[in-house]
Parts: sequence; C-alpha cells; structure tokens
Amino acid sequence: MPAEAAVVLRVNHASRRYGGRAALDDVSLEIAAGEVYALIGRNGAGKSTLAKAAIGALSLDTGEARVLEGDPARDPAARRAIGVAPQEIALYAHMTVAENLHAFATLAGVRAGRVEAVAEAMEETACADRARQRIDQLSGGWRRRANLAAAIVHRPRLLVLDEPTEGLDAETRLVLRRLIDRLRARGAAILLISHDAEDVAALADRVGVLHAGRLVAEGAPDDLMRRAFGARQALTVRLGSHSPPAAAILGPLGLSADDDGTTWSGLVEDAPARALEVDQALRTASFRVRELTVRPPGIDALIGWAGGDAVP
Amino acid sequence: MIFVMLRVMALGLWRDRAGLVLAFGLPPVVFIVFASVFGAGASGKLDVRAGIVDQAASAQSRRLTTALDRQLGGRLAAYHDAAALKDAVANGRVDAGLTLRGDLGVDPAPATVLIHPGRRAAGEVLTAQVNAVAARALPDVMMQRELQRLSPLLALSRDQLGRLGAAPQPPPAAPFVTEEVLSGGDPIVIYYAGAVSILFLMFSAMQGAMSLIDERRSGMRLRLGLSVGGVAPLLGGRMLWLIGLGVAQALLLFGVATVVYRIPLLQSLGPWLVTATCAAAAAAGIALLLAAACQTREQAQTISTFVILILAAVGGSMAPRFLMPAALQALGWLTPHAWVIEAYQAVLWRRIVDGQVLEAWLALAGFGATGFLAALAIEGRRKL
Repeated sequence: MPAEAAVVLRVNHASRRYGGRAALDDVSLEIAAGEVYALIGRNGAGKSTLAKAAIGALSLDTGEARVLEGDPARDPAARRAIGVAPQEIALYAHMTVAENLHAFATLAGVRAGRVEAVAEAMEETACADRARQRIDQLSGGWRRRANLAAAIVHRPRLLVLDEPTEGLDAETRLVLRRLIDRLRARGAAILLISHDAEDVAALADRVGVLHAGRLVAEGAPDDLMRRAFGARQALTVRLGSHSPPAAAILGPLGLSADDDGTTWSGLVEDAPARALEVDQALRTASFRVRELTVRPPGIDALIGWAGGDAVP
Repeated sequence: MIFVMLRVMALGLWRDRAGLVLAFGLPPVVFIVFASVFGAGASGKLDVRAGIVDQAASAQSRRLTTALDRQLGGRLAAYHDAAALKDAVANGRVDAGLTLRGDLGVDPAPATVLIHPGRRAAGEVLTAQVNAVAARALPDVMMQRELQRLSPLLALSRDQLGRLGAAPQPPPAAPFVTEEVLSGGDPIVIYYAGAVSILFLMFSAMQGAMSLIDERRSGMRLRLGLSVGGVAPLLGGRMLWLIGLGVAQALLLFGVATVVYRIPLLQSLGPWLVTATCAAAAAAGIALLLAAACQTREQAQTISTFVILILAAVGGSMAPRFLMPAALQALGWLTPHAWVIEAYQAVLWRRIVDGQVLEAWLALAGFGATGFLAALAIEGRRKL
C-alpha cells in the first residue's frame, strides 16, 4: 500500500448499482504518485465504471472518490489534476492534432505556456510530425497517439488509460510504454485498464482484479502470480493431428484438449522438466509434436483464478 | 473556455462544405421561391393564363384581343369554339376564359369570363384586365356604349348623334381611380423572409447542437467533463456560436431580400439586428434543449424534424398566419416563429418599435433562455 502522503487517487468503499446488478460493490483502492496500477477483469466486471467513478464522471450510491483529497465531481483543482485517454478516440475529428491539443489544454485550465505544453505533449507521444493533420485523416495508430497527447497536455497528476494499446502497432506500443515509464518517473499516478498481459506485466507496479464489481485480489504482479499459481507454469502441446490416444499421456499431467483436439494445455509444477518428459513420451508413441511451450500463466488465468474458476 | 467551443464549432462548419451550403446557400433560395409565389400574388402581379374565343370576329374584337394579349404578356391562347375553351378552363390548361360575341359597341353583354370554381381569383383578375384594356384600347367602342346608354336621358337630336358618331377617335376616359404606391417593403416578402429565416435557423441550430450527442457517443464527454469550468462554458460557447451563426444566416437572407425585393433593411438595421439576435437565441435554446434531452443522434434527428416541422406549420413558416383559423393563429404564439414573423414585419414594414415588438423580443429571448437553462440542467445532471 502506498504511503499516505503520496496518495493521488483514493477510492473508499465505492458502490454503485444499475437496477438489481452491482456494477461496483464496496471497492476501495489507492494509487500513489509514481505508481502504475493496472485494473483487470472480464468484460462487465466494473473496470470502466470504477474508472469513471474515480474521476467524478459517475455518481456513487455509497462511498467516495478523491483525487489529491478533492472531489473531482465538484472541485476544479481535482479535475485539473486528471488526464484521461478513453478507449474511443475522444478528439474533434475535423480539427488537426495541434488544434485539438490547444483546445483541451485550454479546457483543462492551462493558461501560461500553452504552446510549450502542446509541443511537449506531441513530443512525448511522438506525433509532432502530424501536428497539422486533421484527426479524420490519420491512421488508427496516429489517432491513438494524439488521443494520448490530449490526455497529458496539461501535465496531469493522475492519468487514466482505458485499453491504451488496443489495436496498436509495435512501434506505437513502444512509444506508449516509454511514455508511461517517463510519467511514472515524474511522479504521475497511472490507472491502467488493460486486457493485455504484456502491458500489465511490463508496466504495472500493482494489479487489482475486479470480478462482478468487487475488487477480489490486489498486489504486485509477481506476488499475485505466486499466490495464484505458486510454481506452476502454463504447458502447451500442439500435435500434428487430432489424436485421441494422446490423452493417455497428456491427461494424467492435468492437460486438457481444445475443441479440435490438437492443442493440449494446463498449469503444471516443474513445467520445463515435465515438457521434456512429455516430448519424449509422445515421440516414442509416434505422435508428431508441432509445438511445445512453457510460459508463465497469463492475465486470463489470473482473472479466472481471482474470479473463482478452478485452476488445474 | 467559451472561446474554445466557439472555435471548435466554427472550424466544424468551415470544414464541412455540405453544412455551409445548408446553412448559407439553401435559405436564400427557398426564400426567393416563397417570396416569388406569395409576394407576386399579394402585389397584384398574378401571371394569369387565359383563353379566348372570338365569336364576334369583328375589327373591334380583334383590337381587344390584341390589346389583351399584350396586357397578359402573351399568355392568351385562342380557341375555335366555346366548348373547347370551356374544356380548357375545366381541365386547368388556362386559368380563366373569355368569350366575345355580337357587336361590342351595341350588344348588352358582349364579353363573358369563364371561371373555374377553384380559381376564382384568376377569373376576377381577368375580368379586371378586360375592363381596363377595353377602356384603354377601345375608347370609341366604350363611348358608343355610353351614348347608347345615355341618349334616352339626354334626348339628343338625330343631328347631334350623327356628329358624335362622325367624330375622330376620342381620347380614353379620364380615370376615376388613380393609384399611388407607397414606399416601404412588401409585407409578404418581409413575412416570408422572417418565416424562412426562423425555419432554417431551427435546422441549422439543431445541426450544430447535435455535436453534443456526438461528443457523448465518442467518449469525448468523459474528457470534456474534466474541463475546469464544468459544463456551463461548454454549453455557453455553443449557444453563442449558434446565435452568431443564426444572425449571419439571417443577414444573408435579408440581404438577398433587400437586393432582390428592395425591403428597407438599412433604414431599420438596429431593430432588425435585435430581432435577428433574439430569433437566433430562441432557435439555439430550443435546439440545445432537444440535443441535451435526446440519447442518440438518430433519436434527436427524428424528434427534432418532428418538432421543427410542427412549429413551422403552426407558427406560420409554411402558410401565412393571416390565412389560418383564429384558433391556430392563437396557438401560433406558443412558437417562436409567430413572434419572429411579427417582429420582422413590425420593424421592416411598419417601421416601428412599439410594445408589441418589445413583447416579441422578450418572448424570443425567453425561449432561448429557457431552452439553454433546461439544457444546462440536463447536461449538468447527466453522468456517464
């Protein structure tokens, strides 16, 4: 848990119901300055609802959200401290990148040094080359960069990123990761909503798992993985063809087949040694092994574990 | 912050060519069409198409036919018999018909005008034209008819009658009525300038206000919701933009009316500007309220089209209010259209700024303020 003095976002016992369904159920979390907090969960788990509540865009039935101890729904200073990059491209399509950034800098209360702030945001997101191009004339990757630039143009203390890397090319993804690293180093608190296991593993200092509106697990990524899976790793075997007799070798290890019966996977202890044994047994029995991989369990497995799914 | 929204909206229109044409090209065209149709009728320049059967076939009837054809600008068609003319009037190939028979100077009723029951006005116009042309082009025939009528009273001798009959062509009779056309705009032209102006103000304002819904849908609202000034400057900037756009649109339309129909815009520029501003504010307020109340663009499109057309029909943008039943005229005061039309007519036709004009300005400003405040309340309460 971050130190009290450094807390930028504090959510206390937040609850919100839509009809009979709990979108948020007594959620509490804190994000400190210089910390990247990744919020993960299945679709409909409440991630976006929590993000909206955190920035004051959603009223809560009970509980509260505070940014720098201010209520973002009422306190302009708290709102000024927030930058948000929604999943959609939240920019005026008929305006250029620079025109958009100037507009959002002004709306965020940047008075002195607006030109410099715009230039810096474009520099940070590597989209200065496209400054004079209209948003509706840019490709998806450039739009994402501009969307991100608009979120940071007023140098926010809390940055909320909703699926920032979805559909991004490798270069833009790298730009984004470097930017997040720089912002963290400067002391910004970052709330990252992502389905991307690589993003979460590479960027997050802490991870919170939401399930049916409840924060069911929270901690550093490695700690969570250890708590969930211990020393188990994901073992995947891809066979050359559908081979029911292979079940006699793979089944006892706890691996299960996918729908077409060619790919078997599961979490196993001492995965590298098991992989060698499986490979040898399959080849001895004349099965053709096309691929055999060992890797750490992914975000999906963690979400499943936190949601109470049976973990083999 | 208000300036930012003004700039966003201005760039949006400037870079949307179709929107520019809709806002500034279409209204003057529609106005000219309406003013040509209704303005010409009201000013007496009805283009009647007439048919004629000359059963008299005399020198006098040929002179009358030639003069009438000239008077109607060549829109006089000749028919061979009365049945063909009757058929042409009944089927609408001509607006009215004229039959000439007997001796025009002697026959008690030598001319008959055929009138379709659905075009009585055209028949009356043709009757008036025939009378005027006969007095001007056939003074000898008219005098002959007068002598015939008055001779029993005057008891003229055979010698006197003979000398009158042998007199050279007499001058046309001195007119009983002379016409003086006063200066000032054509009220029907001014009426339709106001009526078309408020109709298109509503369409343009709605188009602009719907950017509110687009922002909600694109996630922009999440970002705009963080602006330090909150919702008020975002809506205020839009309101100001829509008012400015409305005044510019009205200026163009009334400018065209000034050039084409010579309405006295420059002589009443101040009161006109206040009226145009109040009209634009009313349209902007209503449009923002509709946009704020609707969840989707599709919903707003449907509802706004319905509302705008109903307001236009009841308020007098489609047909003149003075032709409406009294109850509908009274209902019209619930629309900004009626107030706009009355205010423009007062300041440009009657050229006065009296209590009624002030009342119209207040009513229009009231529409604008109420719509804006209601939109502000809805948007302020709206959470994402």
